[in-house]
Amino acid sequence: MFTYLFRKVAMLPIMLLAVSLLIFSAVRLLPGDPARVMAGPQATQEAVNDMHERLGLGRPFIVQYQVFLSSALRGDLGESLHSKLPVTQDIAERLPYTAGLALTSYLFAMLVGLSTGIFAAIYRGTWFDHLAMIIAILGASVANFWLALMALTLFSVQLGWLPLLGADSWKSYILPSVTLGVLPAALIARMTRASMLENLHQDFVRTARAKGLSSGAVYLRHTLRNALIPIVTIVGLNFGGLLGGAVITETVFNWPGLGRLLVDAVRFRDYAVIQGVTLLTVVIVVSINLLVDVLLSAIDPRIRFE
Amino acid sequence: MTQLRRSSAVLTALLSLSLLSVVSAQSGSDQLNIMQSEPPRSMDPADQTATFTGNVLAPMYEGLTHFNKALEVEALLATKWSVNKAGTEWTFTLRSGVQFQDGTPFNAAAVVASFQRQLDEKRGLAASGRFRSVIDKVTAVNPTTVRFTLKKPYPAFPRLMSGDAAFIVSPAADKKGTLGRQPVGTGPYSFVEWKSGEYVLEKANPKYWGKKPSIQTLKWTWTSEPSVMNLAIQSGQVDMVNPLPPIFTQVLKNNPKVTLLQGKGASVFWLSLNTKLKPLTDVRVRQALNYATDQKALVTTLLRGYGEPANSPLAPADFGYDPTAPGYPYDAAKAKKLLSDAGYPNGVTISVASQEPDSSIVQALQGMWAKAGITLKIMQMESGVWSQAAFGTPAEKAKAGINSSFASWSAGTLDADGQLSPLYATSSASPAGANLGFYSNPKVDALLAQGSAETDSAKRKAIYAQAQRIISQDAAHVLLYYPSDIAAVQANVKGVWIFPGGGIQLEDATKGK
Repeated sequence: MFTYLFRKVAMLPIMLLAVSLLIFSAVRLLPGDPARVMAGPQATQEAVNDMHERLGLGRPFIVQYQVFLSSALRGDLGESLHSKLPVTQDIAERLPYTAGLALTSYLFAMLVGLSTGIFAAIYRGTWFDHLAMIIAILGASVANFWLALMALTLFSVQLGWLPLLGADSWKSYILPSVTLGVLPAALIARMTRASMLENLHQDFVRTARAKGLSSGAVYLRHTLRNALIPIVTIVGLNFGGLLGGAVITETVFNWPGLGRLLVDAVRFRDYAVIQGVTLLTVVIVVSINLLVDVLLSAIDPRIRFE
Repeated sequence: MTQLRRSSAVLTALLSLSLLSVVSAQSGSDQLNIMQSEPPRSMDPADQTATFTGNVLAPMYEGLTHFNKALEVEALLATKWSVNKAGTEWTFTLRSGVQFQDGTPFNAAAVVASFQRQLDEKRGLAASGRFRSVIDKVTAVNPTTVRFTLKKPYPAFPRLMSGDAAFIVSPAADKKGTLGRQPVGTGPYSFVEWKSGEYVLEKANPKYWGKKPSIQTLKWTWTSEPSVMNLAIQSGQVDMVNPLPPIFTQVLKNNPKVTLLQGKGASVFWLSLNTKLKPLTDVRVRQALNYATDQKALVTTLLRGYGEPANSPLAPADFGYDPTAPGYPYDAAKAKKLLSDAGYPNGVTISVASQEPDSSIVQALQGMWAKAGITLKIMQMESGVWSQAAFGTPAEKAKAGINSSFASWSAGTLDADGQLSPLYATSSASPAGANLGFYSNPKVDALLAQGSAETDSAKRKAIYAQAQRIISQDAAHVLLYYPSDIAAVQANVKGVWIFPGGGIQLEDATKGK
């Protein structure tokens, strides 16, 4: 177990190095010049050239990468062209908002997905099961963007119950969390149902019933625990997707998180910020995957990583 | 089972509780919430050229002069100015007793410092190009008098001084190097906070020398999603959205809680025609494209009526605009005849380089032109790619087969020179400038040179009237329209007006209960 974890953690720096090189070249291959964007559409060619020099974009690629790498190793990801702040500070300001949103939307997804999936499995073939699965298919296929706008129109504009923009109070979390949580909720519901069904007819469930356990104990302690393995896997794998969804959700809800920071950075060709946010996302996704591995072995002690 | 039931009951309760709680009312009548389409690019007025950044900065800064509501130049931080006979020396008398928000006194030294940094090539400030090409040096004659010596006569100089980039900044703050994040000017509002991802906050400046604003704080937010702007104004959670995409005007026009504001057209939308590539080397073909264009239909459908057909390469808000300049009326038959006279009885195929957001415009043209036997091939590009293609050399454009480029332009100075010279002078031919179609007419070049140096306004007007007519006659472009700048405010917000080009003017703004 520990050798396994150690190996995974040791891989991280190599992975980050590869990703940093990839991102560093990719943003520079994007058509469009940050100096032109910063200077504005009506700036003269002369001003754009001066800006180019000022931003250090005139130096050879390899020199730029070397400078980036050596400062990144010292924890300095450069300065945002746009906000003029160190990228690390920009990220530190935004990270709590995205983390909060990820947490609440996952909480929502787990609560709704697990309970729907469990009930649908127990009441298999009833109207509840059919309805729940139809909704789950809709939830998995609806465009995040569309759902967000519809939710805003209904709850913020028509009914005026929830704030439209920003992250000022706990109420601001409701709509973005639900919108972002719908896809994982649908996936979890379907996976839970399938996995529960598979386990409900296993011998150990029959044994548990034969022991005279209450149905609650049979479902939760025996069936669900065994059914959890694929669910936890899918939850973990989907975390990357959640961060991707956050880019869209944060844009629609004007959420001051990393997703919106990234969108604005791409728009302004703010190289340092694009690099910083992407690297951080890689670290987060890799860490979540590690965490899932650990969780899986806790749920099923038979799982060992050798 | 009971356990499960209990937890789902808790869940339901939690959900309904959160849905039922009502949003508390936002700020009262002392705060104005304004939402725009993009975040500010810098807090240094000289280091940006974007209208929507200028809007955020304008309440905190002032220039020596500004435009009044009649779009005339008026003194602001200067009390008066004069120019020598040659038109090369402009002397401004400064207002005394004015302080920057950080306590630094406003005087001639501050004005000199504010422009000196623009003239310094090493600083490479984004907006500095337009000053460097005009101003030779700035000197303090005495503490309340400043003299600008120009490289050549420049009659539009007071207009140049009225733009956002000419705002006077605190020399102390510039020395500290913090202007990019923390603006310090002399304006009626002072800077409170720029939370990069969320908002810019400004509060009324108690030390302001002029009329104190009625609204105490300004909060600027932004979204890149146009439908969010529409929702935000409809929900009442923001007081103003700018710019409002025309598509939402229909809905908001019928909403009694919202007022639509319109600025006089400052930008011209057009297709620049590549005069160096066949078949557009022939003026008859270029004219045919103009006759085949139903400008009125474009204004009604694409702009929802918020704009005017373009009759001149100048915009209505520009100095020198001639409303009587003849445009091209829609006449598909005449277009066909011109094409056949030019040797294309079976029509022509033209390509256009356009950006994704403009796709509906070029598609409309495609349909219209088909009726006159013109096939329009749309080359849709991402904005960065488009810039590269549109600003190509004649050889590059010939190789890529680019016959025309869709673009728009507005002169920040609202002056004919700022609009015509970059777009139609031979010396501005791409890639050096924005003459994307390599249009060249020595007569026009001479008129533009003459106009840019003429100090008598009546004579200047006459020169530009002639230039407009020749450019139109030569059909250097397919002129489309002048869109109005539209913004939406809550009905209880009064006194706000829109400067041509989308500038928000807040000096008389009030907000009722």
